[in-house]
Amino acid sequence: MQTATEHIHLFGIRHHGPGCARSLVGALEALQPDCVLIEGPPEADTLVALAGAEDMEPPVALLLYAPDEPQRAAFYPFAEFSPEWQAMRYALQTGVPVRFMDLPQTHALALEKEYEAAEPVSVETAEETATPDKSDHDPALRHDPIGWLGQAAGYGGGEEWWEHTVEQRQDSAELFTAIAEAMAAVRAEIPSLTDSFRARREALREAFMRKTIRAARKEGRERIAVVCGAWHVPALATMPGVGADNELLKGLPKLKVEATWIPWTYDRLAAASGYGAGVESPAWYEHLWRRGGRVDPAAWFARVARLLREADIDCSSAHLIECVRLAETLAAVRDRPGPGLTDLLEAAGTVLTTGEDAPLRLIRRELIIGRRLGTVAAGTPTVPLQRDLERRCKTLRLTLSPTREPLELDLRKENDLARSQFLYRVRLLRIPWGEVTQARSGKGTFRETWALQWQPEFALAVIEAAPYGNTVAEAAAALARRTAVEAHDLPALTELVSQLLLADLPAALADVMQELENRAALTGDIPQLMAAIPPLAQVSRYGDVRQTDAAQVLQVVDSLIVRVCIGLGVACRALDDEAAAGMAERISRLHTAIKLVDQPEHRDDWLTALRQIADADSVHHQVQGRAARLLFDERHGDAGDTADRMSRALSRAVAPEAAAAWLDGFLSDGGMILAHDDALFRLLDQWVIGLSPDHFIQALPLVRRTFSTFPWPARRQIGERVQRDADREPALRTADAMDDHWNLARAEALIPTLSLILGIGAETQ
Amino acid sequence: MSQVLRQHAETQFAHELEELQKADTRQRPTHWALSPWAVTDYLLGIRLDNGFEVTPKYIGGRRLMEIAVATLATDRALLLYGVPGTAKSWVSEHLAAAVSGDSTLLIQGTAGSSEEQLRYGWNYAMLLAKGPSREALTPSPLMRAMELGKTARVEELTRIPSEVQDTLITILSEKTLPIPELNSEVQATRGFNVIATANNRDKGVNELSSALKRRFNTVILPLPASEDEEIAIVQKRVAELGRALELPAEPPALKEVRRVVQIFRELRSGLTSDGKTKLKSPTSTLSTAEAISVINSGMALAGHFGDGELKAGDFASGLLGAVVKDPVQDAMVWREYLETVVKERDGWRDLYRACRELD
Repeated sequence: MQTATEHIHLFGIRHHGPGCARSLVGALEALQPDCVLIEGPPEADTLVALAGAEDMEPPVALLLYAPDEPQRAAFYPFAEFSPEWQAMRYALQTGVPVRFMDLPQTHALALEKEYEAAEPVSVETAEETATPDKSDHDPALRHDPIGWLGQAAGYGGGEEWWEHTVEQRQDSAELFTAIAEAMAAVRAEIPSLTDSFRARREALREAFMRKTIRAARKEGRERIAVVCGAWHVPALATMPGVGADNELLKGLPKLKVEATWIPWTYDRLAAASGYGAGVESPAWYEHLWRRGGRVDPAAWFARVARLLREADIDCSSAHLIECVRLAETLAAVRDRPGPGLTDLLEAAGTVLTTGEDAPLRLIRRELIIGRRLGTVAAGTPTVPLQRDLERRCKTLRLTLSPTREPLELDLRKENDLARSQFLYRVRLLRIPWGEVTQARSGKGTFRETWALQWQPEFALAVIEAAPYGNTVAEAAAALARRTAVEAHDLPALTELVSQLLLADLPAALADVMQELENRAALTGDIPQLMAAIPPLAQVSRYGDVRQTDAAQVLQVVDSLIVRVCIGLGVACRALDDEAAAGMAERISRLHTAIKLVDQPEHRDDWLTALRQIADADSVHHQVQGRAARLLFDERHGDAGDTADRMSRALSRAVAPEAAAAWLDGFLSDGGMILAHDDALFRLLDQWVIGLSPDHFIQALPLVRRTFSTFPWPARRQIGERVQRDADREPALRTADAMDDHWNLARAEALIPTLSLILGIGAETQ
Repeated sequence: MSQVLRQHAETQFAHELEELQKADTRQRPTHWALSPWAVTDYLLGIRLDNGFEVTPKYIGGRRLMEIAVATLATDRALLLYGVPGTAKSWVSEHLAAAVSGDSTLLIQGTAGSSEEQLRYGWNYAMLLAKGPSREALTPSPLMRAMELGKTARVEELTRIPSEVQDTLITILSEKTLPIPELNSEVQATRGFNVIATANNRDKGVNELSSALKRRFNTVILPLPASEDEEIAIVQKRVAELGRALELPAEPPALKEVRRVVQIFRELRSGLTSDGKTKLKSPTSTLSTAEAISVINSGMALAGHFGDGELKAGDFASGLLGAVVKDPVQDAMVWREYLETVVKERDGWRDLYRACRELD
């Protein structure tokens, strides 16, 4: 549209709208501007030329950051179908000067810093959770008013509405006038921002845009093309006095800012990954862009078919025909000229799936959001992450050496602890620079040995990690969150938890713990849950050298223990020998962990669960034995309980191998304890004594089998112990072991004589 | 007042259909009583230009009904799919009434359904007297629908044995029904279509063959979208049933209805209502209809054996029965839910204790 000055042409666009991009290219070609101004950070003016480079492949983003505080940054992502990107390409190809005209980030970031200083947020969390998007805090409406207009008109989204109402006219000049009018109406209806910070920033941004336009005009440009978000058009159409804008822009705070290009991805472009100003369907938009904006259901369903077939999901040509027919009928029922994305998706869901979610999820992931990863041209300035890495290395006195070098750390020293944490963070960035060659065994050791070797290709890995954050800590935390979401099982998550503890990233830890808790709630895999508890219990009880906050870990441990106690009975059923051995081992370890956590409530729940498996019929005998033993050690229930369990488990009706397994489980922690634990010894002793001769002969091999696994010194000590007892209570012993065939009186008559012969009379008297 | 216990949709809502027909100026597919737009409006309710109010028959997403109507308009067969109690048969009846003005061409699928019930049978007296002829043939509702160009309904499609289901393949793809005994066939008239309903809990019992599956468009009817919507449905139905059964109890307090609905929704979705904690879901359906019956039986208990006011102890056993269908897996899920959610929740101590007492 032409403004009063007749030289300024405003193009209000929809960010990342392919329809807009196409209309814009047409309008620019018609206008032949001699200057292009784009809503974007002026600091990046020098970088625009790179957008024309051969090896620059969108999606990419302009990254503006404060080198002294790299977590303070703004991102301006561009896809191939972004109107701004197309405007840049047009200007570069035709050699027209192109300039960014948004409020410089040197001010914007400084303002933000001032604002945060006024309303402080915890520094620690801010470092890790710095959101990528600070370029636009405005509510969704301000960012995408056209999308909202579309929704108000009953369309699935702004793109369909654009397509159906705007595009069909094929007259791009008229079209941008219409947009300006619509926006003027919308802006008149929407109440102004209540948040003074945002209101001020919006005013500043628009003032600066006007300032840039005036500057271009002063240079004598005749046909200035201004490309900005549709929302801003009315503010740029009416130019207030120069004085007012200059007054507004006077004395703004400043911050040193640098700019670079970084690769971006479609899923970060998508709203689904939490990027506030994103688009819902980058891959769909790319499809639209490549096909000149026309929705061709047949072409799109053909891609769906190929995708589904690759995933081994049936999808015949007949299916596709029905999909196309339904999509078109749906559009007709809804009074639209042609199907939009929602119609296509609903048709696919109705025809191709019978209530299954998976195919639709697949389509969404691959064809709606997409996985494209951009690349940046050679010669792009260093990314801040790389700088932060180098700077940290310097302060921590670590060198990026290509030869393998060992590093000894003493974690009691502050600097060494910081180095260890830093190395773990770099590992979380998926850069295998350092490797722990000698882990600290147990909590008593403070030594950690690393081997460091920097490979040249790690530089690429750094660039790949760059979108996740500008400092090592920030990026490591963001990547860890991502890994947590993608993790397949609980052990992977607990491993991640320990990595995060070592890397000292508490905020990310909290999120991963939440994820762990969610997964724990859903999994039916009790062994996995059991395996997850001990390492967490360790941390929650003792903390570690690094003084991690234990409370959040403890909370998850609590819920895990409750779940295990409930599910243990079922998990112990129908186990084969191997699985049972593993389960018995896990139960022992968990028992130690629960004692470590030391909460009476858990102890009671746990012992109840143990009693259930100790007394259940369908549980493998080795597991039962272990449970019985742990109950015995805890002195749970009556003293006679364990004796009863033992005699039941080892009674004659039980198959010998089952009885042996029970005994194995019961005595699996070796013979030494048996030699020294009086109660345990007595228990076993009483059982042996109580056996009838026949049963004793039957049971002997079983007992022998278990005892043979004990180390030799232990066996000797048990033997000595038996001997000592026999010596101490000979009368009891002989009386108990006596057989009916013995005549005691006659035997006793022999003793004096025998004593005399053997010369032991003096001792027994 | 009609003596009929339950009227057909087209009789009960005859007036609405008539008004819609009068106001309907848009193009109608051949043999359709209303245009697709008017059918959608009939299902979802609308206020006509002349001020006539069409009541909503289905409360839920407009898009779903649009897909269903568009499917019928493409002459593809429609399969309404969902858990029990999501108004599948109800929607099918009203769709048939609105599209064909006739919802009676119905085949109830059962494990004992035979091919004759889907195709045609014989009048044996006539067959013996006259030999094989069209007069001796007794057509199925499906065959009649083909001849008349109307909508046939098949209820509980997946209860029908697979080999009998496959009879539908020729009918749906070739739109003909061969009669080899007479060396003839019935060709479907325009307007003919089939609406089938199936229960996704019966999945795997008589799974549709992929050949048949391909001939159906599947529309999944969901459970009520919001908690408040579901509470409203439960309260309304409980009050109606309570009156019909002449229960001596007071209508239940909103608090208890809310609790039961919340428990049902949480277990069903596997997520607590605050969205913070994930849960395991039991194998039971936990449909809205079951929530209604839990409250009803609780009211009966309260009325006959309690103090007439529905309390946690009155519906605890019903709740347990509704949730725990598989004695091992579901019992575990329920225990976990009790210990991790119910126990911790403010003001739910009574419910926790009542449920623990049942163990």
